[in-house]
Parts: sequence; C-alpha cells; structure tokens
Amino acid sequence: MARSGLLRRLLTASMAVLFGLAALTTAAHAQIKGGVVRVGNLGEPPALDAHWTTASITETLTNHVYEGLYSLDSSNRPIPMLADSHTVSKDGLVYTFKLRQGVKFHNGKEMTSEDVVASLGRWGKQSIYGKALFAQVSELKAVDKYTVEMRLKEKSAIVLISLAVPNNFGAIYPKEIAEKFPPEQKATEYIGTGPFKLAEWKPDQYIRMVRFDDYKSRNEKPNGYGGGKTAYVDEIRWIPVPEVATRVAQVETGELDFADDLNLDSYDRLKKSPNARPIVSKPYYWLVAVFNKKEGLMTNQKLRQAWQAAIDIEPIMKNVAGGKSEFYRMDSSLAPVEISSWHTKLTGLPWNEHNRDKAKRLLQESGYKKEPIRFMTTQEYKWMYDFALLTKQQLEDVGFNIDLQVVDWATLVKRRNNSKEYDVFTTGIGAAYDPTHHVYLTANWPGWTTDEDIQRIQSELARETDPKKRMALWEQQTRQFYEKVPVIRYGDLFGLRAMRNTVKGFNEKTERIRFYNVWLEK
Amino acid sequence: MGPYLVRRVLALLPVMAVVVTVVFLLIHLIPGDPVSVMLGPDATTTQIEKTRQALGLDRPLYDQLLGFYARILRGDLGQSYFLDRPVTRALWERAEPTLVLTGLALLVAVIIGVPSGTIAAAYRGSLWDRGLMFMSLLGVCIPGFWLSLNLIYLFAVRLGWLPAAGYVSIFSDPAAGLRYMVLPALSLGFNQSALIARIARSCMLEVLQQDYIRTARAKGLSNRVVIYVHAFRNALVPVVTVIGITTAVLIGGAVVTEIVFNIPGLGRLIISAILRRDYPVVQGVVLVTAATYVLINLTVDLLYAVIDPRIRYE
Repeated sequence: MARSGLLRRLLTASMAVLFGLAALTTAAHAQIKGGVVRVGNLGEPPALDAHWTTASITETLTNHVYEGLYSLDSSNRPIPMLADSHTVSKDGLVYTFKLRQGVKFHNGKEMTSEDVVASLGRWGKQSIYGKALFAQVSELKAVDKYTVEMRLKEKSAIVLISLAVPNNFGAIYPKEIAEKFPPEQKATEYIGTGPFKLAEWKPDQYIRMVRFDDYKSRNEKPNGYGGGKTAYVDEIRWIPVPEVATRVAQVETGELDFADDLNLDSYDRLKKSPNARPIVSKPYYWLVAVFNKKEGLMTNQKLRQAWQAAIDIEPIMKNVAGGKSEFYRMDSSLAPVEISSWHTKLTGLPWNEHNRDKAKRLLQESGYKKEPIRFMTTQEYKWMYDFALLTKQQLEDVGFNIDLQVVDWATLVKRRNNSKEYDVFTTGIGAAYDPTHHVYLTANWPGWTTDEDIQRIQSELARETDPKKRMALWEQQTRQFYEKVPVIRYGDLFGLRAMRNTVKGFNEKTERIRFYNVWLEK
Repeated sequence: MGPYLVRRVLALLPVMAVVVTVVFLLIHLIPGDPVSVMLGPDATTTQIEKTRQALGLDRPLYDQLLGFYARILRGDLGQSYFLDRPVTRALWERAEPTLVLTGLALLVAVIIGVPSGTIAAAYRGSLWDRGLMFMSLLGVCIPGFWLSLNLIYLFAVRLGWLPAAGYVSIFSDPAAGLRYMVLPALSLGFNQSALIARIARSCMLEVLQQDYIRTARAKGLSNRVVIYVHAFRNALVPVVTVIGITTAVLIGGAVVTEIVFNIPGLGRLIISAILRRDYPVVQGVVLVTAATYVLINLTVDLLYAVIDPRIRYE
C-alpha cells in the first residue's frame, strides 16, 4: 500500500513537472500581437478590385481586405465565410443564403443582403467565375436584411464553389461602391469586411494594410483559406521588388520578412541561411502547351497526338526544376494532388508515352509536310522558355519543324487572343478548384477548345449535382482530354518562397500566401 | 549671348516634337496592349474590347496622336492606366530618387575619374598610370548589373554593413537616405568614372605638351603648381563635355541600378510602364527625359564660355 502510494505521488509529481514544462514551451510560442510584416512580391497589382481581374497578385492582396460568402477549407472545398448557412430547394433551383449578422465593413457600416446582391451582381457581369455561374442564374434578390435568394434556370453543380474560389472572387463590397463603379471599370475605392483594411497605396513603392479592429472573426479554427482569421500583426506592408535576386537578398538581410515567386536557384542558399528558410509552394502550375484549334496547322488532331506521343516529359521537368526533385512532380491528373476532390489516378492514358515510333507514325498519318509550327513563348517566365526550348529539341528529333518565337509577356497575352498569329503557346495552369474552371476546356479561352464531346461533358459537369456521378464525368473528360489533345499537359512545377524565422503561424499549404493568423516573434 | 540663348531654347521644340512622335508611334505599334495585361490572361475578348473603348484605345492612331499633342500643349500628360493618377504626378513623385541617385553617382564618377586621369597623365608610363587605367578598364567592362548584385551580396548579405535595397528620402532622413544610396551610387558611378578618367588623362597629356607648360616648368614652378594651376583648367573643356554626357546617360541609364536596388525612380517607372504598356507614362517619361537631355547639353555649351574665355558665341 505504501509503495503504490509513493508511486502515485511520484507519478503526480512528474505529471505536474511535465505539464509545467509544456505550459512554459507553449507560452514561449504564444501569438504576439504587433509588428509590421514586410512582404516582397513581383510587382504592382493592376487593380485592387477583386471582381475586375484574374491577376494572381490581385487575388493575394484582395483576400486580406475583402471576403466572399464562402471560402475554401484545407481540402479546397467550399465552407461558409460571410454566409452563415444555406438551404437548397427540393428541385435544386433555389438557393437561400442566410448571412452572418453584425459583420462590419471598414467604414463602420453593417453588411446586409443589399450589399451582397449589388456586389454579386457586379461580379456576375465581369468575373470569369461570376459570369460562368450567372449564366445559370435567373434572379438574385434580397429577401430580408440577412437573407439572399438565388434562383437558377437549371440545376447547377457550381454555386458554392463559384462563391468560394479566391481568384477573381465574389468579394462583398458596400452597395454604394458596387453601384458606383460599372463592372468593366476598375473600382478605386476599397472597403471590405476583411481582417485588414487598406491604409495606403504608393504605386511601385508599397501597399500598406493595417489591422481592422472591428473585424468579426468566425469562431472555428483556421481551416485552409477560411475559418477564424486573426490579425496579429499591426500592418502588412507589400513591397514590389521586381529583381528576384534582390528579393532573396532582402530576406537574408532582414529588410523583408517574406518573399514570394523566387527562382529555384536560390533554394540551396536559403537552406543554408541562419535566419531564413525556403518554402516549397505547391501547387504552383502545371506546364502546358496550348494549341490554336481555330485555324492553322494544329487544327489537325493527329498532329497534336503526335506531339503528345513524342515528348519525354521527365527530363524536361527535371531541367525546368533546376535538377531538384523537390520542385516537380510527374502526374497525368488534370487537377493536382492538392485538389483532392478532383484528383484522378487513371491508367492507360497516352500521357508521357515518349514513343518516337508512334509519334512518327501519327505525323505521317496527319499528312504533315514539315511546315514551320509557330510556337510562342516568353523569357519573362524562365520555366516557360526552358520547357519550350527542350520541347522544340525533342520534337525536331522526330520530324517536326518548330519556329520558336520569343516575345514579352504583354505581347504573348495579346497575341494568343488572335488565331492568325500563332499555332502553339506556353503557359501554366494554376489551381482550378472545380472541373468547370479548367479554362483550357472552354471554347472562349485562347486555343478555342470547341470539341463537341468535351463541350458536352463540360455542360453536364455544370449541372450534375451528385458527387459520384460528377467524378465519373470528370474521369470521362480526362480520357477525352488525352484523346482529343486540346493542349499538352506536362508535369507539375512547384514554386519557391522565402520566410524569416521570426515569422510564425504561416500556413504553408495554401496555393497563395495569407498573413492573417501570422505573428512576428521578437 | 542673349540671342544665342534664345535661339538654342527655341531649337528645343522641333527636337522634342520629333522624339515624342517617334516614341508614341513605337509604343503603340509594338504588339501587346495595356488592357490584356490589366484584366489578366483569362479575360474574354468582349471584356477587353469594352475596356479598350473606355480608355479610348480603339480610336485610329492619328486621332490618338492628335489628341496627345492637344493635351501636351495644355500641359496635361494624361492619366496613367495602371497608377490611377495623372502622369505629371507620377513623374513628380519619381523624379527625386532618380535625381538624387544621378547626382551622387555623378559625384562618385567625377571624384574617381578626374583625379585618376590627372594623376595618370602627370605620372605617365608609371605604375600609377597603368594601375589607374586598368581600374578604368574594369569600370568599362564590368556589367553594372553584375557589380550591383555582388556589392549587395558582399556588403549587405555577408557583412550586413549596408541595406540591400530600397530608398529613403535624403530630405526626410539624411543619414538613412545616404546609407541606402551608397551601394547604388558606387555601382553606377564606378561604371561612368571610366570614360571620365580616360578623357581626363588624354586631355591632360595633350595640354602638358603645350609650350606654356614648358615655360612654366622653365620658370621653376613645382610640378604640382604646373599641373593644378596651369594645366588643369585648360584640360577641362572636353572633360566638362564628357561629364555633361555622363549626366544625361545617367538619368536614362540608371534604369538597371534602380531595378536591382529597388529605387522608385523614373528608370523603374519607365520599365514597368513599357512592360505593362502604360502608354501615357511611357510618353511622359520620354518627353521629360528628352527635355532634360537637351537642357543639359545647352548648359554644358554655356559652361564652356565660363571656363574658357576665348570661347564666344554669336
């Protein structure tokens, strides 16, 4: 009895010590309020109007200042943000959204249904995701102060996901601002409901966002892009630093706390740095060569299939990733691993066959007479230029004649809208959170994928609400993709970021960077 | 002098008109347009057309050009597509960093260049001469970009003595402002010092051959007096020309330095404007740079008369 008593006391004592130690260590990592986090990025955003442009830098910045009805969780599925809940009618044609109450805009006004209707109406006319959704919407109206009703023309699979995607998103503006600026005009007043508000914008120098003290956070834990958001830092200062070597140097010296969009050659240096470390950002882009299917040589499907059969993707990816296996992934799925709902593991796809005989046979069957194929790329994104160059070499080995045209990004973006000016161009496909968001499968995006089967499956995907059936459709679409070859899918490329060790709480798993829930250690 | 001055200033106008027209045509004729860049790569054709109309970009080129002239004569350089402010304001905000950088770089270039050239000439053929001219050769050959990055790596990252990049106004905080300017001014100045050194050396050598120099030496004057009192001023005229050209080159050529050191000056402004096809800003910067260049040339010409009393203009 005495021994068990002693044992028990010993156990209690050690538990107390352990708990004490645990408390001490967690106290050391407790979030600290205050400070300015300085983030170095590529350049200036063309606008801070979230409805207006798909530019990724606008996406990153506006998601600190504005919020939408929904957001994405850590599995990239829609979860409520400004909405409290929603119900769907039995026939699937009426969505009723209940809004959270007491949410304030940065100007003190409360967010209500009239702000939501005005903002989403504007978004539905300008944003690519808004327009795709509103093509199915017959009416959006405010039922009462905190209730919004959306009536659909047909059953839709994309309501919540469209309201949740962070890019070119359905940000809720005050009604006055949404009505003041017509959809095709950039809004130049910035009032949102987000944890930070815009304090100052000095173009090409910095953009300052400060904590919004009346921010009403959700009660859940942070979850992906959504859940609870706390602004620990007093200010986020976004500093455009166009020269990438300088961006890295400034993180090393401490002039910046974070730098995004870095070149892969800084990786080794950052790994050795005592005060900063590298972050591999996934997903980043999958590399793609887009064919002009409206006119010209590449309207010939066999020719496209020949290209697909010829290329050996792994050495290209390895080269583009600077030889570092941490920075690329071989995958045939059209949605990357991180978008788990739509990731496919199909076998037997003609992806990365690197079969020269098959390629030569297809070339012959296509009737190709060695005419030059205009392949447009740019050096402004080094990885685009690299994979274009390597592709040209591989293709010329099997009998293609590639005319590589190197232009600047502004020219490429302009020219790719004109079907007379090119046959193929390079770009990267970023995260698409829904099958209907894969732009290269649509008829209006450069390249003009008008194949009947692909278009039919895309429209079914927009309407089919059963998740299992949707996945089956998506797998069918993937097989169609590899047979009809609207574009060539290479591998996944990852990006590089740098962060000082004093920055804590940063979520490394999201595609784009966020600085709420982040604090600075002394 | 008076009528000469007036004529020179009037001659500015045709020069500027030509420069501005050429740049207008160039920037509008190269492929790519601001709207595609602004709206993002996934914009539809209808959206792009609507925004182009709103910006007046769908009007015929000659119409846009005439509209541009009309605005310039009113002193209105237009509105930047990206910066949401008048071009004049954008230029005004960015002029200070470029002027400060150019001024300091010029100072560095002159402080390195003129004494190097003078000493090299005075001790011609010696180790001094060869050493200094080798340094000036390095100044010409070393790419400014490479030099800038290495200066950052050494002094900012490894030693931590100076900041890697950025800008603080000298007028708000002189000490910090100067710290940020040391590396960029050094890099830019070193490149430009080379030409100044070489020209100073050649001019000095030529002057030292002159009769009056031999007379001065015959009179028994020390080498130092001969060089600094008698030879120096006479060698100055071509050197002043080079310094003038260098100033103009610096204003335009500070672009690379501004990008590497992230200085928000006119050089960075014009590069981002070109890449984004921000037409009004490109036109505005070129107009202002051309005007500055011409004015500097005029100032240099007038300075000759001050330095060399023999020079007179009709």
